[in-house]
Amino acid sequence: MTEFTHIPWLSILIFLPLAGALLCLVLWRREELCRWLALAVSWGVFVLTAGLFAAFRAGGSGWLLYEDHAWIERLGVRYILGLDGMSLLLVLLSGFLMLVAVLVSWRVRRHTGFFFALLLLMEAGILGVFLALDLVLFYLFWELMLIPMFFLIGVWGHERRIYAAIKFFLFTLAGSLLMLLAIIGLHLLHTAAGGAPSFALDNLRGLELSPSLEAWLYAAFLLAFLVKVPLVPVHTWLPDAHTEAPTAGSVILAGLLLKTGVYGLLRFGFPLFPNAAAASLPWLALLALIGIFHAAWIAYLQPDAKRLVAYSSVAHMGFVVLGLAAWNQTAVEGSILQMVNHGLTTGALFALVGMIDERAHTRRIDELGGLWGKVPRLSFFFLFFSLASLGLPGLNNFAGEILILIGAFQTNPVWGATAFAGVVFAAAYMLRLVQGVLWGAARGALFWPDLEPREGAVLVVLALLVLWLGLYPAPFLAPLREPVADLLNVLPQGGLP
Amino acid sequence: MSAGLLFLILAFPLLGALGNLLLGELLLRRVRAAVAVAAVAASALTCLLLWPLAAGEGTRATLFTWLESGTFQVSVDILFDPLSASMTLMVTLVSTLIHLYAAGYMEDEVDTTRFFVLLNLFVFAMLCIVLADNLLLLFLGWEGVGFCSYALIGFWYAEEKNAAAGRKAFLVTRVGDVFFGIALLWLFALCGTLSISAINAQASLLGSGTLLALTLLLLGGACGKSAQLPLMTWLPDAMAGPTPVSALIHAATMVTAGVYLLCRLFPLVSLSPTGMMAIAAVGALSALYAASCALAQREIKRVLAFSTMSQVGFMMLAVGAGAVSAAMFHLFTHAFFKALLFMAAGCVIHLTGGENDITRMGGLRKQSPFVFWLFLAGALCLAGAPLTGGFFSKDEILLADFARATLFYRGIWLLGTCTALLTAIYTFRLVYMVFAGEPRSHFHGHALPGPMRWTLPPLALLALGGGLLNLPPLYGGKEHLHQFLGPLAGTRIHASHAVEWALAVLAVALFFLGWALVHWRHRRAAPEPVGALPAFLLSGWRADRLVERGILRPFQVLAGWCWQWGDGRLIDGTLEGAGRLCLSGGERLRRLATGRLSTYLTALAWGLVVMLGYFAWRIL
Repeated sequence: MTEFTHIPWLSILIFLPLAGALLCLVLWRREELCRWLALAVSWGVFVLTAGLFAAFRAGGSGWLLYEDHAWIERLGVRYILGLDGMSLLLVLLSGFLMLVAVLVSWRVRRHTGFFFALLLLMEAGILGVFLALDLVLFYLFWELMLIPMFFLIGVWGHERRIYAAIKFFLFTLAGSLLMLLAIIGLHLLHTAAGGAPSFALDNLRGLELSPSLEAWLYAAFLLAFLVKVPLVPVHTWLPDAHTEAPTAGSVILAGLLLKTGVYGLLRFGFPLFPNAAAASLPWLALLALIGIFHAAWIAYLQPDAKRLVAYSSVAHMGFVVLGLAAWNQTAVEGSILQMVNHGLTTGALFALVGMIDERAHTRRIDELGGLWGKVPRLSFFFLFFSLASLGLPGLNNFAGEILILIGAFQTNPVWGATAFAGVVFAAAYMLRLVQGVLWGAARGALFWPDLEPREGAVLVVLALLVLWLGLYPAPFLAPLREPVADLLNVLPQGGLP
Repeated sequence: MSAGLLFLILAFPLLGALGNLLLGELLLRRVRAAVAVAAVAASALTCLLLWPLAAGEGTRATLFTWLESGTFQVSVDILFDPLSASMTLMVTLVSTLIHLYAAGYMEDEVDTTRFFVLLNLFVFAMLCIVLADNLLLLFLGWEGVGFCSYALIGFWYAEEKNAAAGRKAFLVTRVGDVFFGIALLWLFALCGTLSISAINAQASLLGSGTLLALTLLLLGGACGKSAQLPLMTWLPDAMAGPTPVSALIHAATMVTAGVYLLCRLFPLVSLSPTGMMAIAAVGALSALYAASCALAQREIKRVLAFSTMSQVGFMMLAVGAGAVSAAMFHLFTHAFFKALLFMAAGCVIHLTGGENDITRMGGLRKQSPFVFWLFLAGALCLAGAPLTGGFFSKDEILLADFARATLFYRGIWLLGTCTALLTAIYTFRLVYMVFAGEPRSHFHGHALPGPMRWTLPPLALLALGGGLLNLPPLYGGKEHLHQFLGPLAGTRIHASHAVEWALAVLAVALFFLGWALVHWRHRRAAPEPVGALPAFLLSGWRADRLVERGILRPFQVLAGWCWQWGDGRLIDGTLEGAGRLCLSGGERLRRLATGRLSTYLTALAWGLVVMLGYFAWRIL
């Protein structure tokens, strides 16, 4: 075991895609090679994450893996990476969805080398965010994932890509710059209180702060994270970004980038500012509930299938935040599980909309219809993931949602009961999507190819995971138990409002 | 016998569905259908073989832990007790017959793989509801049947209208599911478990207000699935699906799931007298409402759909009166005769070449005496002809209400009795319009495939003889079902023989009165009445328009408001406004950088003045 833990697995995990990205940049002229290189690297990362998951599936308290090196000594910046049960799950999700993202981008023809370089760069950034424990390092990775996404949307996106890319960039940058200020402020306060200069999470925790100062610093962190989640009312970048992004971009945005917001709250926001965080929980719940209904209502009217799925993302993330706000074991475990679930189902739905777009050259619901008769296999998967998304029991979203709802009801019955009504809304917009795309008379007589093996393989694996998480999520909940229990002790009075 | 074998009952239909899903396209059409039929038949056979396990308290079996987090723990566990065993047997038997029938009915259809996968999946989900020992597994089945119903109603998806009917069914029942779901969350918060047995055992510890609220929530859930007021609008539209689907899902099994849920949780529900009265009231009003609508319908399947709603109302009424055994009795007899009626109606539609409108039918008795007699058998049960299955079960329900000698329950009884008369009238109207007289239009009918014919007689036997299941002592019976259910059978009915006789005579009188009225109208060859009232009844009291105006339009308006105003103007508008402010601010500042020396010198001078002024102010 010691031999095993002496290898810097976490650094390998981050630097492997980084190296892959550099290679892709160097070899950008040879597109075919870049494509296979990206597949090989993302496959390698996935195998690594799966291996880590297999090794640490029992979970446990504290860090499962930990690396700590000096970096910028004058400022006390250190290179600290750590893996616990919570990040384990998200790292596994990242490894898997990145592989999916590479596979669904197989037909990208423009600047292929750069495209895959950016994908791999983003993978490094996302994995870094889930692993970094020094605030400067965390911030570095946080921005590192922003820039590739900006270019992915801006260069490979659809019609309104420039607008969407800039909107995405400004929203997230506005949030994260405030967070940077708060990080520096925290560092200075720590030094002023007599501590050695440091940005390490463990050193900055437990710093005595006046209530108003704590509230302001927390607000800066909160804004950065909530923009990423996104929570109403800072969500409007998401529909544009999702709709305009290429398929892989949408998969990563929905599957991974949104999760970094919730992860940031759990890893940094709550432990650094426990009192302010405890006071914010009811407000978070309120915004989450508003978000569930607001986004569902808007999703119901969307004429563009991709935009509808994008808004459904906002509604689902409302459930995740509600689970955080409920702040008990069941609800928080449900939230983290739900992040994985949402990543799989929404990722799959974006991939499917992309596949339809490739065939029909439209994503407008009123221009589609009758697909079941044309491409039955694709339609089957479309129906399957739509059902998962609307929370059919036995499929994965239900498992997460019911944990969140049970937990939320225990904290505050009104939250749980209100959120449950959200399932009707979810059914309303998802069934409208299914109705518009799959049923009705087939339009146009053109022959469409059904799923090709590459597409089929991705969807079958995703579907099997959806079933596994829906019927037997225990292996994915096990590593969460202790980290969540430790986390719950962080806030005063258990967070009950 | 090992308790684990009980899971075979669930496994067979699931395996059938999976087998057809993965391999169906490779199989011959007949093999596909055979797989589906065999799966359900195997399930029925297993149920029969394991019957001894149901005795007494029944048998529990656990497969694996489904969800576990914090204090929340749910396993896949089932309970095979008298209530669930008898329901399982009914569901699997009727399903087997209907699957066989469907094999004939769908002979000329394309895409039967999808049909049989969904049909088997439906049976699996339904059995989950029936056998579940915890509310979450029950909820899995509950939503599962909802999905299968959705997909099967819209089976002929190429027509927008069919798919829309499926969607409506899914959404309306899901509104009910929310109430059920909230009850589920609440019960977990109160009892710390979702096990049905544990909840029933702990129910007496709960406060009366809580019990009432829980009962009403559960009633809400039951109303959605069982198409009771006010969540009933989906059932008539659900008839867009293939007829075997209507027979299986929308007559015999799924629509009775709500009644079964209330029976399953009867120990909890029965603790709230007000809640029980609410259940009875919903049942009685739905029964009367639906019967009145059935009087004016023009489509054969819609008549039967409203009649189903009305009969399920009777079952609710029985639960509300505390008579679980009467409710289950009627559930069984109804399943037999209504499945028979639907299947016979399917034959009628087949014979008339796809005609659905009864005003264009007529004279079918001569064309196919076989179908006529079998349809008549079902109709007699429905109308409550003496000594048929429906007669005994309906009588027992009305007796249970009458025996609760309060003003409220007497009122309910009166409503139920009026409904019984209406039932006889609309049933005979249907029979006369379809079978009597001369054909009103010319049809290019099809011949009936074998399976569609010989699945009817067994059901007819079950329907006519269904009374033997629970024959009351008055007629020399032993109330087998009541005895078998034991402590689950609900309150015992206390009524004197004189009252029983009086009610039975009244029932017979109403049956003949209804028949006589229809017969008399037919003899006079009176035309169908026209005018405001029939139109009102035909449209189901305009309930659809009410929902459209009261719920759907506000929903869409609010949705538009959220989109255009909330996201569009308020959030993006504010942010874009801020962006424009930055732009115009920058534009103004840019104008200062003109590159002209004079501007810079003036600015320098002004700056100097300000600085000097500041210093002067500080010194002074």
